[in-house]
Amino acid sequence: MRGVSLSRRQRVLIQSAPISDERVDDHAMRAALHRARKTEEFAAQRNFDRAIAALVRAIPIPADISEFVPSETLISPRRPRWKKQARHPAFLATAIAVAVIAAVSILQVVERVNRFPGEATARRLLTTASSTHSMMLDPIKTDAGALGDFFFMKHRLAHYDVPQEFADLRTLGCRVFDDEEGQRVAQVWVVEKHMQFFLFPAERDVKTGKARNFSGWRYLDQEGWTGVVKEQNGVCFMAALRGAEKDLAPYISKSKQ
Amino acid sequence: MLADARKAAEVFHATLRDAAQEAAKDEPPGDRLWFFRDARWRCLEASEKGLQAEDVGLEEKEISASASSQIEKLAPHQLAIWISAAPEPQRTILALFYLDEFNLKELLSISELKPPELAKLLSEGRQQFQAWLNVTVPAVEI
Repeated sequence: MRGVSLSRRQRVLIQSAPISDERVDDHAMRAALHRARKTEEFAAQRNFDRAIAALVRAIPIPADISEFVPSETLISPRRPRWKKQARHPAFLATAIAVAVIAAVSILQVVERVNRFPGEATARRLLTTASSTHSMMLDPIKTDAGALGDFFFMKHRLAHYDVPQEFADLRTLGCRVFDDEEGQRVAQVWVVEKHMQFFLFPAERDVKTGKARNFSGWRYLDQEGWTGVVKEQNGVCFMAALRGAEKDLAPYISKSKQ
Repeated sequence: MLADARKAAEVFHATLRDAAQEAAKDEPPGDRLWFFRDARWRCLEASEKGLQAEDVGLEEKEISASASSQIEKLAPHQLAIWISAAPEPQRTILALFYLDEFNLKELLSISELKPPELAKLLSEGRQQFQAWLNVTVPAVEI
């Protein structure tokens, strides 16, 4: 095409451009036609093709032929158009992006649902659990359930009671310390599965100062350690061990029975 | 494709019969292009029995501005004879292209050609037809 620079591919497309614009359904073809449309050469080609097509249309079709034009029943049904559109790269990319956003949103919602007051402290104490040795604790061999009185009598910690689900377990030792936020934390080491218990003040509402309650047991895990937390009378109890949720679940389900 | 109405009708009916038989077996043709592919091969088969066009390197002329007026002077059967005399696959391409029923993808699918081949055949076909037009319907007569 003189006066217009077309790539080799565009020349190929122009030379085979359909006669009617309605047959142009390809972006590359449309772009090539847009560039070539103003050239005399293309105008001559178009006029030439249209004149021949008009001559072809003038060919009379015998009646017995036009009566037998294949009906739709002879052609298998077309695949729904949406299936074809679904394979378009732009559609696929959008669908993948939406799926990722949806997955992230669902994860965030699930995380939010599982979140509970005092979770941050519980996570910190899981780190403490992973770095504690039994020799760091004062040796006390008793039932865990008996330690509530001990904490109250010796350290004036009210309601630092081990829940009945874990009350029967034998202890090896315990200690009371202040965590980095100055909260009094009781730590207990038990014989079974080298489990550790933590008792710490429940998170409080900044305005009212009341403990923020939550019901039931809540699981959390971090770096191979798993904890299960319950709040009672403004004090949180956490049982922690190196393992998974399934290792702690039997103690909780036992209490439900 | 055949420049013979009787042969063309036979091809048409044979194609339709085949499609009906396939549909009766619960395996109807996949799309409308099947009919054109089938008819094309039947046309090629039918034309094999007659005289064969030779690729003799026809004269080519650039498309003239008066080409459409020259074409208007032609009778449809003259065009049909000219196209049916073209060598394969140019004959198929010209016949399908000037039906103005297909987009490029469909043309390539039926003719089983690559885009540059199809473009070359069409471009040469136009210029050869123009050269023939100049002889048959000279521009000065218009």
